[in-house]
Amino acid sequence: MRKTFWQPKSHRFGGMKATVWAVIGAGGLAVWLATCPILWAAEPTPPKVPTAPAKQDAGQTPPTTETPKEDLELLEQKAFQAAVDRVAPSVVMIETIGGLEKVGQVLFGTGPTTGLVVDPQGYIVSSAFNFVNKPSSILVRLPDGTRKAAKLVANDTNRMLSLLKIEVDKPLPVPEAAPRGQIRVGQWAIAVGRAFGEQKPNTTVGIVSAISRIWGKAIQTDAAVSPNNYGGPLVDIHGRVLGLLAPLSPQGGSELAGVEWYDSGIGFAIPLEDILQVLPRLKEGKDLKPGLLGIQFKSPALHISEAEIGSSRPNSPAAKAGLKAGDKIIQVNDRPISRAAELKEEISKRYAGDKLRLVAQRGKDRIECEVELAAEIAPYVRPFLGVLPMRSQPAEHPPGVVVRYVYPDSPASKAGVQPGDLIVRFAGQEVKDAAGLRQLAADHEPNQAVELVLRRDGQEQKQQVTLGVFPEDIPPGALPPARIAGKPQPVPEGLKVGAVELKVPEMPHEVWAYVPDSYDPAVSYGVVFWMHGRTAVDPKELIARWKPLCDAYDLIFVAPKAAHGNPPQWQPGEIELVKKLLENLRAGYHVDPNRIAAIGDGAGAGFACLAAFQHREGVRAVAALCPEPIMFPPPENDPAYPLSCYIARPEKDQRAAQVDAFVERLRAAKYPVVVKNVGEKVRELTAEEMTELLRWIDALDRI
Amino acid sequence: MRRSADSCWIVLRRGVGGAVWLAAVWFAVGAPAATTSRIAATIAEVQPKMVKIYGAGGFRGLEEYQSGMLISEHGHILTVWSYVLDTDEITVVLYDGRRFQAKLLGADPRLEIAVLKIEEEHLPHFKLEEAVEVEPAARILAFSNLFKVAMGNEPVSVQQGIVSVRTHLSARRGAFETLYNGPVYVIDAVTNNPGAAGGAVVTYRGELVGMIGKEVRNTLNNTWLNYAVPIDALRPSVEQIIAKGGMVAKPEPESPPRPQRCLELARLGIVLVPDLLPRTPPYVDWVREGSPAAQAGVKPDDLIILLNDRLIHSCQMLQKELEFIEYDAEIKLTLLRGLELVEVKLKAPSDPLPTTGKP
Repeated sequence: MRKTFWQPKSHRFGGMKATVWAVIGAGGLAVWLATCPILWAAEPTPPKVPTAPAKQDAGQTPPTTETPKEDLELLEQKAFQAAVDRVAPSVVMIETIGGLEKVGQVLFGTGPTTGLVVDPQGYIVSSAFNFVNKPSSILVRLPDGTRKAAKLVANDTNRMLSLLKIEVDKPLPVPEAAPRGQIRVGQWAIAVGRAFGEQKPNTTVGIVSAISRIWGKAIQTDAAVSPNNYGGPLVDIHGRVLGLLAPLSPQGGSELAGVEWYDSGIGFAIPLEDILQVLPRLKEGKDLKPGLLGIQFKSPALHISEAEIGSSRPNSPAAKAGLKAGDKIIQVNDRPISRAAELKEEISKRYAGDKLRLVAQRGKDRIECEVELAAEIAPYVRPFLGVLPMRSQPAEHPPGVVVRYVYPDSPASKAGVQPGDLIVRFAGQEVKDAAGLRQLAADHEPNQAVELVLRRDGQEQKQQVTLGVFPEDIPPGALPPARIAGKPQPVPEGLKVGAVELKVPEMPHEVWAYVPDSYDPAVSYGVVFWMHGRTAVDPKELIARWKPLCDAYDLIFVAPKAAHGNPPQWQPGEIELVKKLLENLRAGYHVDPNRIAAIGDGAGAGFACLAAFQHREGVRAVAALCPEPIMFPPPENDPAYPLSCYIARPEKDQRAAQVDAFVERLRAAKYPVVVKNVGEKVRELTAEEMTELLRWIDALDRI
Repeated sequence: MRRSADSCWIVLRRGVGGAVWLAAVWFAVGAPAATTSRIAATIAEVQPKMVKIYGAGGFRGLEEYQSGMLISEHGHILTVWSYVLDTDEITVVLYDGRRFQAKLLGADPRLEIAVLKIEEEHLPHFKLEEAVEVEPAARILAFSNLFKVAMGNEPVSVQQGIVSVRTHLSARRGAFETLYNGPVYVIDAVTNNPGAAGGAVVTYRGELVGMIGKEVRNTLNNTWLNYAVPIDALRPSVEQIIAKGGMVAKPEPESPPRPQRCLELARLGIVLVPDLLPRTPPYVDWVREGSPAAQAGVKPDDLIILLNDRLIHSCQMLQKELEFIEYDAEIKLTLLRGLELVEVKLKAPSDPLPTTGKP
C-alpha cells in the first residue's frame, strides 16, 4: 500500500460524528437535548451558545429566509468556536532544539508541538511523545507570543506525560477540568493543538467514543488526534478540559505506542482530573513509573477468569507480601475484585511506590496484606543444576532421580555428579522424582549454594553445588538412552498408533500426526507441533520424514494445517487448536509435559511463538526456523513454566536484523536461546542440524 | 473496523434520492417533521458540480484519476495540475454518468492547478467569485472521488469535518513538500488520499471554500496534511487561463532570493560547536575577542535559538538560514543562557564587497 508512514493511514469516511449528526441534524439544540437523555445527563447546563453572531463567523451570514435559531449547524459551529476560545489561552506551543531525527522506526520532525497549562506558576503538561527524541532545549511559546525557556521537570511513564516548568511574570490561565463523573459517551469532544504556529490553535471535532480505555487510564475520542495536537487538550462543548491528548496503545509500551493510529478515528486523552492528582508528585521532580505487583495470572483470559495467581516473582512486592500461586485476589483497597482484568486495571492506574491493601482468598482463609508497587522486578532467572534425568521411572523404582547425563562444566559436573547417580535430597528436601527435583530447583536462584545428596553404589554422598544458569548450547554428541528399562506394556485397545488423523470437534482443521508404532504406555512421549510456513508440505511426506526421529527420541509428531487462506496462513486465533490438540493427546497417550515443542517454519514461526507464549502451561519450547519477523514481545519468564527457544537464522537475509532483535528480547526476558546460523540464505535444516535440533528437544527436561 | 452500513449516507448513491433517504432516517429517530436538513440539501446541490477525471497513470503508486469541479456553465473545470493530465485522452465523468473527452486549456504549475474544458452547455457549476472565507471550527463538507470509490453515474464521496486552522504552506522553509506555497485551510476530514485532489471543500451551506490540494506531508511532524487551497488564492490564475489559455507562469525560483554574498558567523566572531550530529544544537563554542559578537555580549555556551525571530533547531539549519542574509545586514539573535533568553543585535563590519562576489 502506498503512503505507509508508520502504518498505513486510516481512511475516515465520516466516522461516528455522522451518526450523531443524523440524530441531531433535524432539530434545534433544545429539542436535541430534550430528546437525547445521555447527553442531557452529561450536560446538566445547556451549552453556552452565543446568541448574537460571533465575530469569528465571517462569511457565514445566515440567509434571510431562516432565523438563526433553526440553523443548528451554525449554532454548533459557534459552540465549537466558543469552546476553543475558552481553552486557547491555556494551550501553549512547544518548540525544541536539537534531539534525535529518528526513534525506533518513527521519524521525528522539528515540531512544534502542544502543551497545556496546569498551574498558574508556570507548570505545563504535555505528551511524553513530544520529547522522546530527547531535545537539548525546550521552549514554550505562550499564546501572547512570548517565548520562555522550559525545564523538563519530570516524566510519567505510566500515563506518558511530561511536566514542564517556565518562569512567569504573571500567573498563567489554568483551564477548567470537566468532572470525570460527568463525561458521557456521545458528547462532543474538541481536540485543540498548536502545531501550525498560527495565532489560533488547530482544532478537530468528534465525540467521546469511550470513557474508560487503556486499563482505565484514558478517554477515547473519534476526533482526529495526531502529532498536530498530542499534548493539547480534549475539551467538551463548554471548553472544559476532558483530558490531555496523547498516543496510547492498549498493549502499552513505549512513548511511541499508538502513534500508528494517528488521525484514524481512534484517539486517546488522559483525564485531566487524573493528571491533577499526580501533579504534586511530578512537581517534586520525580519520574513516575508504572507500578508492578509481580504476579502472573493463572489464566491469560483476564476478562473471564478470577484473579488467581499463577506464580509470584521472587523479590516482587507480591512475594514479599507472602502471596503465592493459588491465591485469589478478591479485593484491592475498597474495590471488590471478581475478574483478573479488574485487578490489572487497579494496578495499571497506579505508580511504583503506591501502597495497596490487598485481600486474597487462600483455600478457606482470607489473607490481608499491604503491598508497595515496584518500578522494576528483575526477570526470573531459572537456576541450573546441570543434569538430565532418566525418564519413565517405573513405580517400583526407589525414590530419587537417576542421572542420565551430566552437562560438561555444569554445577553438577563440578560437584562430581556422574551418570547413574541417584539424587535423593536437594537443599535438605527429599527428592521423589524428576518433577519434584525440578520444582525444588526452580524455587532457588542462580549462584545459590545448595547441598545435594547422592546415592552411588549404595553409598550416600553429600555434595555442595553452586547453582548456575541455563546453558544456551546443545549437549555435544549423542545422549545416552533416556528410558529406565521396564517391562513393555501392551497398547490399550482402541488407541491408534502410526500415522493418525486427529480431529478436534468444532474446529475445521486438518491435522495429521504420527505416534511411534512401538508406542509403550509405560514410556512418556514428547510432542512436536510442526507449524507450516507459506507453503504447507504434504502431511504424509512430513510424517515420513519425522517417523524415524519420533521412533528414536520417543516423540509424537503433530502437523496441523491452517484453516484459512490459499495457501493456508496461520491466524492468531488458531492457537486454540494447539491447546485442544494437546488436551486430546494427553487424554489418550502418555505425554511428557517437559518435552512439548512447537516448531515453526518461516511464516509459521510467528504462530509457533504465539502458541508457546500464550499457552505457557502447555508448550515448553519453541523453534523458529528462518522466521519471518516476530514483532510481539515474549511474556515474562515464569518459574512454573520453563520455556526454551531455538532460532535458525540466515545471516544475510534482509530480516536478519529483526530476527536478532527478537533474540535480544528473548534473552532480555532471560529465556535460554539457541541461535543457529544457517549461512547466507533461507534454507531447510540439513540432516545433521535436524539431529542437533532433536537433541535439543531431547534435553528439554534438563534440571 | 470501518463503518459499512452507516457510511452509505455519506457516500450518496443517487444525489437527491440519497437526501430523501437521509430524511427518512431522521424521521425514524424521532426528529421533528417540520424542519428540513441543511446538509442533505447542500449535498444534493453540490454533487452535480463535481466531476471525476481519468487520465494518465495507473501503474505502481500513480493513480490515474483525480477530482474536479465545474466552474462555468460552459464546461470549464478546475482541478489540480498533475501527471494525470499528461495525456491526450483526459476523460471527465459528470455526476450523472455522462462522459466527455476534455481539453486541457492551461495550467499554473506554481499553484498546481489546471483548467479543463468539455463541450457542453448549461452545466451546474460553482461561481468562483462567490467563494467564501471561513474561520477555524467552521463546519465543512469535502467532495472528492478519493480512491475512485464512485464509479459510472455514482456521485463523488462526501466527507464532513471542520476547518482545523488556516495556515500558510510556506511559513517555514522546507516544512511541506509542495510547489504551492500559499495559504491553506487545514481540515479534520481525512482527504489526503489518492484521487481526492481537485475536489471541493464547501461550507455546510454549500458555499465554495477551497479546492483539495495534492497529497502533502508535513515534514515538521511527519503527518499527512488534510487541506484545501482557498479559492481566492487561485481565482486570478484561473480567470487568466480561461481568458488566454496556456501556462500561466513557470515555477518561480526559490524565494526569497539569496544575496550575492551572505553573512558568515566567522565575520561576527562566533564559532559554533563542531557539527557532529544530524541535529547538533547550535551552541556557541568560542567568541573572538573584540568581535561584533563579543561586543554584543554573546558568550561561549550560549545556545542560539532564534535568528531574526526564526526558530533554529540545529547548526545545519543556522548555516542554511544565514545564506538568506546579506553579509553586512544587522541580525537579531536570541540566545538561551541557562534558563534565560537573551536578545542581541549584531552586524558584521561592512568592508568593501570583493569585486568578483561569491564564486
